Amino acid sequence: MAKSKGYPEALEKKLHDQRYYREDSTPDFTKRVEDKSRTIAHMCFQCGTCTGSCPSAPRSTYRIRKFMRRAVLGLESEALNDPDLWLCTTCYSCTDRCPRDIAPTDVIMAMRNMAFTHDIIPVNFLKTVTAIYSSGHGVPNNDVNRAARERLGLTRDPPTTHMYPEYMPGIRKILDHYHLKENADRIIKEREG
Amino acid sequence: MSESTANHTFALYLGCIAPNRYPGVESAAIKGCKKLGIDLVPLKGASCCPAPGAFGSIDMNVFYAMAARNLVLAEQMKMDIALVCNGCYKSIWEVNHKLKHNKDLRDGVNEVLKEVDMEYKGTINVYHIAELLYNDKFVGVDKIKDSVVNPLTGARIAVHYGCHLTKPHKDREFEKEVMLNTEHPMWMEELVAALGATPVEYRNKMQCCGAGGGVRGYDIVHSLDITNEKLINLKEAKVDALTDICPFCQLQFDRGQIEIKEKFGVSYDLPVLHFAELLGLAQGMSPQDLGLDLHGISCEPFLQKVL
Repeated sequence: MAKSKGYPEALEKKLHDQRYYREDSTPDFTKRVEDKSRTIAHMCFQCGTCTGSCPSAPRSTYRIRKFMRRAVLGLESEALNDPDLWLCTTCYSCTDRCPRDIAPTDVIMAMRNMAFTHDIIPVNFLKTVTAIYSSGHGVPNNDVNRAARERLGLTRDPPTTHMYPEYMPGIRKILDHYHLKENADRIIKEREG
Repeated sequence: MSESTANHTFALYLGCIAPNRYPGVESAAIKGCKKLGIDLVPLKGASCCPAPGAFGSIDMNVFYAMAARNLVLAEQMKMDIALVCNGCYKSIWEVNHKLKHNKDLRDGVNEVLKEVDMEYKGTINVYHIAELLYNDKFVGVDKIKDSVVNPLTGARIAVHYGCHLTKPHKDREFEKEVMLNTEHPMWMEELVAALGATPVEYRNKMQCCGAGGGVRGYDIVHSLDITNEKLINLKEAKVDALTDICPFCQLQFDRGQIEIKEKFGVSYDLPVLHFAELLGLAQGMSPQDLGLDLHGISCEPFLQKVL
């Protein structure tokens, strides 16, 4: 939300009312996106440097500039239900180049976080969670690799949670604090039966 | 040059893909750094960083708490962290930086860590191994040159910088200012040249590999199409190998070439090596000791050129 510029109250109110001009906008969406992303999304002046820098744009309908506009206009449902939300590779090129020092990538991440609270999330993201819940690693070890490690003079399992499973209860406790495994299992079951 | 000869010791944060898919990266990093006066000791009980694409997309708070747990393990050892992966750098360095500078975030994370008898204090720093190798406060190009016994003469090598080590540069705090150049950096090329190889530039070299943000799992064809664009540009530059500093990028370029062949019917047969593996080769480690046979794309044509 823009900081008050000290205009007369009536003008402030008029500016505020005009910011959201569509009936389907959620007025506090911009503020929630900004709180979560810790970036000044409302400063976006739609120059399009972000979309021009985006490796996903030339091969899809994903337009980061469009998501920035949705953030500013409070178009929550339109943003969170768009499958293109998940095509950002988080390369941060847009953030790197934004002339207003906004982090569009972090806006996308904030929107993804919000989508998750409505169970909108591709299953592959949740499978990373379940892998880490069971072994501590997103990409766990396997027998071929264990043999190779031994040949290389390394321990069969790396000195991580793989070699020290006694660290796993602590990791599960952290994930359980956020009910992440529980939610991941529930959503995966709903999708895949 | 009044270079310090003192040994530096770091806790080696391994992540997932290096130790579990490209163990040669782990082995080469430890042995290679040892020759350059850096001891890397295991960070016992570390977990996934956690994957910034997956966890960051789901819930930033879990992302902060899980990364903080890894940071606390190093704090308990009273050691700075060194790591070999850009994705891990994004998680571990950035969360460390954010928690150091935002009391509200730190308090939130510590409330959760209390449940597992841990407290984040903000007492250590996090470095990428490429940064340690490039910065003469730790190693530097000259010292690397001195450690080379098998110069990679005649090999044309291109660099994939990856995204998460240096972008967004506005948030990064490298001592070496050239590392903040994300439009046209050349510091990795200096490292490649230090090994005796010829660094080669190519069109759009700073483009992403296509794997990040959960896109590899969400839409593999879209993800590989980005990789394919880079491979087309690399082919044009006629390079013998691609070097990277991120095992996830390496997976995307190496195993990705096999998937690209399957899905798009194009093959490149371009060897892809982590800079640690390249350093190992130049310092005299054998391809077997580096586990190069585990790569999806054969390194043989490149090895014949340099061995």
